[in-house]
Amino acid sequence: MTTDTTTSDGTVGSDAVDDEGSDVPNRIAEQFENIRQTRRRRALGWTGLLAFLAFATVQAFAATELLNPDARLETFTDSLTGFFPITRHFGVIPFLDFGQYVAFIRQENLLYDPEIGGLLFQFPPNLADIYAFFFLELGIFQIFGEAGITLAMGFVGTVLGFPFALVFGTLGSERVTPFPFNFIFRGTMSFIRAIPAIIWTLIFIPFLGLGPASAAIAIAFDTIGNLGRLFVDELEEIEDGPIEAMRTTGASKPQIVFFGMLSQVRTAFIAWTLYIFEINVRIGVTVGVIGAGGLGYVLTSQQNLLRFTEMMATLLAIFLLIISVELFSQRLRSRLRSDDVEMGIWELIAGFPRRMADSMLK
Amino acid sequence: MTYIEVDGLTKRFGDTVALDDVSFEVPAGEFVIVLGVSGSGKSTLLRTLSGLLSPTEGEIRIDGEPMIEPRPEVAMIFQQHNIIGDMTAYSNSLSGGVHRSGFLSSVLQLQDEEEKHRALDALDTVGLLDEAEQKARRMSGGQQQRVGIARALVQQPNVLLADEPVASLDPGSAQSVMDYLRTASDDRDLTTFCSLHQVNIARKFGHRFIGLRDGKKVFDGYRDELTIDVIDDLYGDIDTEGMFVRDDGDADAATDEVATS
Repeated sequence: MTTDTTTSDGTVGSDAVDDEGSDVPNRIAEQFENIRQTRRRRALGWTGLLAFLAFATVQAFAATELLNPDARLETFTDSLTGFFPITRHFGVIPFLDFGQYVAFIRQENLLYDPEIGGLLFQFPPNLADIYAFFFLELGIFQIFGEAGITLAMGFVGTVLGFPFALVFGTLGSERVTPFPFNFIFRGTMSFIRAIPAIIWTLIFIPFLGLGPASAAIAIAFDTIGNLGRLFVDELEEIEDGPIEAMRTTGASKPQIVFFGMLSQVRTAFIAWTLYIFEINVRIGVTVGVIGAGGLGYVLTSQQNLLRFTEMMATLLAIFLLIISVELFSQRLRSRLRSDDVEMGIWELIAGFPRRMADSMLK
Repeated sequence: MTYIEVDGLTKRFGDTVALDDVSFEVPAGEFVIVLGVSGSGKSTLLRTLSGLLSPTEGEIRIDGEPMIEPRPEVAMIFQQHNIIGDMTAYSNSLSGGVHRSGFLSSVLQLQDEEEKHRALDALDTVGLLDEAEQKARRMSGGQQQRVGIARALVQQPNVLLADEPVASLDPGSAQSVMDYLRTASDDRDLTTFCSLHQVNIARKFGHRFIGLRDGKKVFDGYRDELTIDVIDDLYGDIDTEGMFVRDDGDADAATDEVATS
C-alpha cells in the first residue's frame, strides 16, 4: 500500500467518504472490534485458569491436612517464649535476653573454637603455635567451630563436585557431543538431581558412617547434578563465531571446545560455581539435621531436648554463617561480572563504611 | 602458478541458491577483493573457501588439494572479529597456532619460546605489541580486528580470507585495519581474499576484483578494468558519484580523499 502513493491516497479518500455518517472510519472500527474480542477471549481464559487453580488448591489443602488441621496454638505460643527468652530490666521493661543466645553459642563453640583459635591469637605470637594451627591442626575451618564444619562440608562438596560437573556439563552439551549421546551425560545428571542431597547422605552412611564425611561426598554428588546442569544451559547460549574461528585455525576437537566454547563461559562458570557453593553451605545445614554434624546437628539435638532457646541460638549462628557466605560470594560474583577496574582488598575493607553511607543516601 | 582453483562452485541452502556455478583461478600472492551487495554470496564464497561450509556442487582446490574441511594453511578473519573476549590479545594471538601443539600445552600455554615469539611478532605486525596483555573485550573494534589478524598470522597460513573485516568499523579504523591486512599479506606473501562493500576501500587496496551478484560471478578483473560501469552493474542504481572517478590517472587520489574524509 505504501509503495504506490496514488492508490493509497485514493483508498483513504474513499474510506472517508464511506463513513461520512460516523466519525470513525470502517478500518479502525473493525480493528477495534478485533482487539475487543481478543481481549474478551483472553479474559475468559484467565478466569478459567484462576478457577481451576483455586479448585486444585482446595484439593491440595485436603491432601496436606490443612483443611482440618490439628492446630495447637497454645503449645506454639509457649514454644515462642522459649525461642525468645525475655528478661525484665529493672523488673519492668521486657527485653529479649540476647545473653542466653550468646552463652549457648560460646558454650557449644558454634561460631568459634577457642582451643584452636587460641593457637593463632595470642600475645606475643608464638610461631610454633601458628605453624601448628595451619599445618598440624589444619585449623582454618575448624577455628569456626560447628559453623566451620558446616562451611567445610559445603566447600569440600563444591571442590570435589566441580571437575565432574565441568566434564559432565561440557559433554552433555549438544554442541560437543552429538544428539543422542549427549543424553548419556544429561541423563546421569538428571538422575543425580532427582535424589536430594539429604538422601544421598543416607546412601553414603554405610560407606563413610554417619558424619561430615558422607555429607561432604553427598554434597559433591549433588553438585555434579546441579552445577553440571547450569553449565549445560550456559553452553547453549554461546556464540558460534569463536567456535568457527577456532575451526579455521585447524585446532583439534578438544582445543575447539576449550578455546571456542569454554573460554566464552569462563566467568559465568565461576559465578555459577560460587552460587552453588552458597547453596551447598545451606545443604550442609540440612544434612546436618539427620546427624551428619555441624550446625544442623546441634539444631536437631536441641530440638529433641525441647530446648527452644538453644535452638534459636543455633538458628542465629546458621543465619550468620549463611549471610556471610552469601555476602562474600555475591561481592565476588559482581566483581567478576563487572568490567570495572578491580578494587583492592584493602579498599574493599577500608572503603566499606563510606560505600555503605553512599548506598544509604541513595 | 595457479594456487587456488574454484571450479563450478555451487552452494544451496534449501531452495536458496547462494552461489551459482562460480569458477576462477588465483595465482599465489594476489590480493583479491570480492565485491557485491549484501546477500550476493560474498560471505558464502569465503566460508566455502575456508572449509567451514562444504560446496553443494563443484570443487575448491587450494595448492592442488581439495578443500573439504578447515586446514591450518587457510586462515580466516571475520566481520565480528570472533576473538575470545575473556583472553588477552597475546593469548588470542597464540591461539592461532594451537594446531601445532597438543591439548594440554595449548591450554596451559606451555608452547615453546619460538611459538610465543611468533605470537608477539604477529601482534607487532598489527601494531599491538604494547597492548599484548590487555583483555580483548576491553579493546576497540579496530584493535579487536587487528588481534583477529594477528591470530590468523600465527596460524602461518598461505591463504588469508577476510570476510568483511571492516564492515563494522568507523572509516579511520577501517583504513588502518586494511593497511595492516595489506602489509601482512605482502610481507608474508599470502594469497588474500577480502570481501568488502566499500568501493573506495576496495579500489585502494585490491589487485584483483571478483564481483558477485545473486550468487553469480559477474566480474573478474584487475584494477584498470574496474570501471564505473562495472560498479553500477554490481551495485545497481546507487549514487556512485564522488566514490569513483572515470579517469584512471586520478582514481587513486580521489579514492584516497574519500577514504580519509
